[in-house]
Order: sequence, then structure tokens, then C-alpha cells
Amino acid sequence: METVSDVRTDSASIPAVEKRERAKPASTRIWNFLISVKLAIWIIIVLAVTSILGTVIEQNQPPEKYHQVYEDWAYNLLDRFNLFDMYHSWWFLLLLCLFTINLTCCTIDRLPRVIRTVRKPKSILDEATEKSLSLTERWKSKGDIPRRMEDYKAALAREFAAPKVTEADGVVHLYAEKGVYSRFGAYATHAGIVIVFIGAILGNVFGFKSYVNIPDGKEASHLDARGGKEHIDLPFSVRNNRFWLETYPDGTPKKYASDLSVMENGREVLRKTITVNDPLAYKGVWFYQSSYGQEDGATAQVAVSRQDGTPVRNLSLVPNEPVRIDGYGVVRGVNYEQDFQGKGPALQVVVEKPGRPASDLWILQGRPDLDRVRKDSLVFSFEGLTAKMYTGLQVAKDPGVNVVWLGCLLLTAGMMVSFFVSHTRIWIRLSPGLHGKMEVTAAGSANRNRSAFEKTFASVLAAVRKDTSNTDKENPA
Amino acid sequence: MNTLNVQLFDLTTLLFGGASGTFIAAMYGKKETLARIGTWICVAAAIVSTAALGVRWVESYKMGIGRIPVTNLYESLVFFAWSVNLFYLFVEWKYKDRSFGAFVIPIAFLTMVFAFTNESGIQPLVPALQSYWLHAHVITCFVGYAAFAVSAGVAVMYLLKARQEKAKAKDGIVARFPSSKVLDDLVYRAIIWGFPFLTAGIITGAAWANYAWGTYWSWDPKETWSLIVWLVYAAFLHARITRGWHGRRAAILSIVGFLSTVMCYLGVNLVLSGLHSYGG
Repeated sequence: METVSDVRTDSASIPAVEKRERAKPASTRIWNFLISVKLAIWIIIVLAVTSILGTVIEQNQPPEKYHQVYEDWAYNLLDRFNLFDMYHSWWFLLLLCLFTINLTCCTIDRLPRVIRTVRKPKSILDEATEKSLSLTERWKSKGDIPRRMEDYKAALAREFAAPKVTEADGVVHLYAEKGVYSRFGAYATHAGIVIVFIGAILGNVFGFKSYVNIPDGKEASHLDARGGKEHIDLPFSVRNNRFWLETYPDGTPKKYASDLSVMENGREVLRKTITVNDPLAYKGVWFYQSSYGQEDGATAQVAVSRQDGTPVRNLSLVPNEPVRIDGYGVVRGVNYEQDFQGKGPALQVVVEKPGRPASDLWILQGRPDLDRVRKDSLVFSFEGLTAKMYTGLQVAKDPGVNVVWLGCLLLTAGMMVSFFVSHTRIWIRLSPGLHGKMEVTAAGSANRNRSAFEKTFASVLAAVRKDTSNTDKENPA
Repeated sequence: MNTLNVQLFDLTTLLFGGASGTFIAAMYGKKETLARIGTWICVAAAIVSTAALGVRWVESYKMGIGRIPVTNLYESLVFFAWSVNLFYLFVEWKYKDRSFGAFVIPIAFLTMVFAFTNESGIQPLVPALQSYWLHAHVITCFVGYAAFAVSAGVAVMYLLKARQEKAKAKDGIVARFPSSKVLDDLVYRAIIWGFPFLTAGIITGAAWANYAWGTYWSWDPKETWSLIVWLVYAAFLHARITRGWHGRRAAILSIVGFLSTVMCYLGVNLVLSGLHSYGG
């Protein structure tokens, strides 16, 4: 059986405790309520049951979506109890607070007691202790106590752990223990949970989560924060040099990647290609590859040349955005057709020259010379549309996250210790017996895995008896 | 024509079916020899399924999409059955008792049958799953699930045994079970193995989510259900350790815990929507 008898003291004979409870002042009663395991179990059950609601009711959806699913009365009822964002509702946070208070109070109540028993262990095997222990063994031995004591001490140290020796009224008590730190396992776990909560609060108060779309070649330093908070301006900016995606032969996505540069005071200070599981971090702000897309309104690539064919410049025309060509006029791309009169992709361009009415023309992709027939000073040829990609970045700053990991580590370590390490203790009492003989009484206890300890206890004692009987022969009294 | 790994998994399914049948027959017929055969079939199933996992891993590399075979519903089911079987063999070896087989191995068998009805092809990994965290996350979770499955199987045995002991009856199959004290202890022990693994599974999942999306906890249905499972077993441990809940109540809690585990593992994917890909 692996029960922890020592923690049980607070719950033994519950009816009697409750009777006594009524006689106590209110403050004591409130305290006893806050430190009770009963409360802990109730909070755990209520947390578990209410958490189910938020998995059945979709969270944080727009109201229209809920109205499609629920009748008005149901909508109003669910909304009243914040069930559309229940994990951030006042009542759920209140439950978590109560849970934290309960954990903290349990620790305040019990930890000092544990520290006391660990620092001042019961190192004397008196009669009351002996009676309370189920594992005991007695035998008689030769020799007088002061001389034999060293043998037993050495044997116990060799076979189990170095004992503490206490002498009282001619009786010698040896006390040895192992795994005493397992007594702190549960407290480490509970502290770990509280630390995780603290980390989460730190992250919520001092951090932010945001999202930004950056087109290829553009940079951004201005983020829209989520949850109604105002926007965030980073002290640096991030440039998306290029976003791309790769697919497997069957077309499923293989890789989403963005080549990012961190720009500070106009200089590139860091460059990294991020992918979905490989973010970029700079000054505590993390950028995660989260989505991508094509920018609205692709740009049309138009090459401009003179009649004799010498190139002048290349234009990137955004729909309806005028582009000025010095000494010529203003050009706008206004329309695009995938298949213009059966001749393939074409772009409609409006040309405005000073002092003349605007003229418009269609230029065909793949027919660069066609525009020559216009006999204008400049010739336009359409080289195709380029849809600009943008990368969608999740941006987060969470100064509490390492606190959360610390809590998790403590929680797990504490759990392992409290499940798998047993605090085992062995007492040996040497007391004077009849006819110059010595009476030896041994006792043992373990706070968990008792059946395994029974075997350890038996083998340790057998070895101690063997060790000490050897010395009997070597040094006959 | 299925690839070699799927054929091996199909063979594993047959072996689990054979072992389940043998264990149940041994229980009814009170034949120790049959139960011993059941054990050997389980050992064979362990070898075949381990080989199948290895072959599947190699095949994925040959397809140019090499990755650990625990990334979709089919793979997670066979991996779960694999874990349950190994955990069972460990318990049987440790307790030197074969009567558990009839209650635990059918869980592995039914899981494999369910896997059989699912798409078994090797699909490439989507970008979100391409992480080393995947290994740590999936393995810890499934060892935890397997331990909870064993605990629940033993809890059912406990309930049957305790009822018989109360009636002071001494016949039938149940009489051949280990004593209710041993069963009660095993219900607890399987949970104290499963609980740290589940905890590690939740933490590695959170660490992974934080590394991929910048949020370690987003109250996604899968996350929430894993927390619910965690809370149920936390309640079990507190009730048992500090309030002395043993026997019947502990066994029922263990079964409730496993039902919520099944909900977390399968229910969330089949019924609710969320971030976890398998089961679509």
C-alpha cells in the first residue's frame, strides 16, 4: 500500500473533526475550510466539469455565428454566464483564484510541520513510537552497549544509511533515514502550479500577442494588438524579404518560409528565414510563421522603351495608382483580362499627357511590339501580373514564459519525487537485558511502497545481524 | 495492395484478437496453459508491431517524407495499442499474474480494429507537425494513455472481484483474479505511472505550441480535455492519498478517468474541432 499516513492526520475521523469545528471561532473555521483537501478536491472537480462547457460551446466566435446555432433565450443565457469566452470569465478566474488560495494555504499550513519533522526527526525509538510501527524485530546479543554500539552504527551505515546516535539512560538509539526529500515532493508540485499561474499573469500583464501581415519587400513596426487593446509600436521593424511555400509532389504543403530582416535605425541587425516551427526572436519579441496570402490587387509589370527599342524603365502598376513618367505624362493600369479577345492576357492602361485628353489602350502580354503602331514617343509592353505575397506573422512577447517553464519543471520533478521516492526510516535500540546480554530492537517505516520496504527492512536487518555477529567472533567479549 | 507495414499491423490485429480470445477462454476454462499461450501471442504481437512501426518509419524515408510514425489517427491508434500491450506485458511480468490479460488486451485489440477502418497510407507531414517536439509530445501522451487504459481494465476487475468477495462466493472466473487488495493497488500504481507521463505530455505540448505559435495555452478543445483528464486523476490521487479513497470509489474514478482520456484522445477529434490534425 502506498498511502501517505502523515498527510492523513488532517482528515482522520471526519465526523469528530466536524463536531469540534463548530465550537471554533469563524476565522479558524474559514482557515480550516481553506486548507482542507476536501475543498481542493471540490475545486478540481468543478474546474474539470465546467471546463467541458467551453469545449462543447465554441469559444470567441462572432455573435452572428452563435445566433445561427442557438435560440435567443439560449443565447442570452449562455451570454449571461460568459460561456462564449468562459475561460476568461470572472467566475472561471475566481475558481482559479480560489484554487491558488487553497494550494497556498495548504502549503502554509503543512510545510512548516514537515520542515520541523525533517529537521528534528524522531530519532528515539520509545515505546509509543515502537507500537505505532508495524515493522519491528527483536533479538538478543552478547556484549555491552557502549562497545557494541560502534559495530551497529558501522553496520547500519554500510547497509542502509549513516545513523544518528542518541544515548539516554544507558539506552542507545540509532536512527537512519533515506529519501527524506520525498516529503517535499507534493509541496514542490503545488508550488510549481502556483508558479505557472504567476508566469501566466506576468505574460498577460507585461507581454502582448499580436498579428501582422507584411507584403514581400515591405517592413512593419506597427502591430494591432488583440483583444481591444490599442496598437503596439515596436522599437524596431521587421522586413519581409520574401515569403515562399513548398509542396510535396502530391500538393500538400511542405514548408512555409519567410526570409525576415530586423531593421533598427535603418540598419539590418538580424536576418533569419523562419518556418512554422522555427521562429525569430529579437529583444524579447518573437515572430512566428503563421499564415500567408496574396495581396489584394496584383501589380502589373510593364516595360517602357523608346521607338528604337532602348529600354527606359520598368513600371509596376498597382490598380488605379497613377505613375508619373517625367517628360511624358501619367500612366495608370485600370483593367486586366485573362483572355482579351482570344489573344491572351492583356492590360488596359490609361495615359494622360499634359494638355491632352486621356487615352486608353490595351496592351497584350507576349506581343511586345504591338504598341509601336501607336507611333507614340514611348512604347509599352505588358510583361504579366505578379501577385505579391504577404506573410502572416504571429508576434508575441511573453516575459512570463520562462517562469511558466520553471513552474512546469518544479511540478514534474515534485511529482516524480512524491510518487517514486519513499522516505524510509530504520531505528535500532540497544538496551541492557538480563545476564549481561543486550536487547536489540529494530523498527522501520516507509511513507510509500511499504511492501518493497518490508523486503529492504528484512535484508538490511539480516545483514546488520550478520555484520555484528562476525565482530562477536573476532572480538570475543 | 497494402504496404508491408500495414500488412504487419493487420497481422498484429489478428494476434491481439487471438490473444484476447485465448485469455478469455483461459479465464472461463481455468486453463493456465491457455493463458500462457496468450502471453506468448502478446509477445509475438509486440515483436510484429514493433517491426511494423520500424518498417513504416523506413518506408516513410523511402518515400522522401521521413518522419516518426505517430502523426495521424491510424498511426496514433497503432502506437496506442503497441503501448498498451507493452505496459500489459510489464504488469504481467511484475505481478506474475495472467488474469489481467482478458481485461487489458481486448482494449488493444479493439483499438487495432478501429485503426483498421481508418486510412492507413503514409501521408507527408504538414509544416505544423515538423518539429522535434512531436516525438516527445506524442510518446509521453501515449505512455500516459496506455497506463490509464491498464488502470481502468484492472478497475473493472476490481469491481467484479470486490462484489464476489462481499458475497463470499468462491466460484467462477472472478475467483481466479488476484485479491481485491492487489487489484486496488494496481489501479493506483498504473495511475502514478500514467499521471507524470500525461503531465509531461501536456507540458511538451505547451512548449511546442509556444514554439510554433507563440502561445503555450489557448484553451483549444484538445488542450482543455487533456486538462480535464489531468484534473480527474489529480482528484483521484488526492482522494486516495489524503482521504483514503480505496477500492470501489477509486476504481470508479479510474474508469471515469479513462473515459475522459478516450474523449480527449478520440472524442475531441471526432466530435469537436481544434488544432490536432489526426482524425481531421
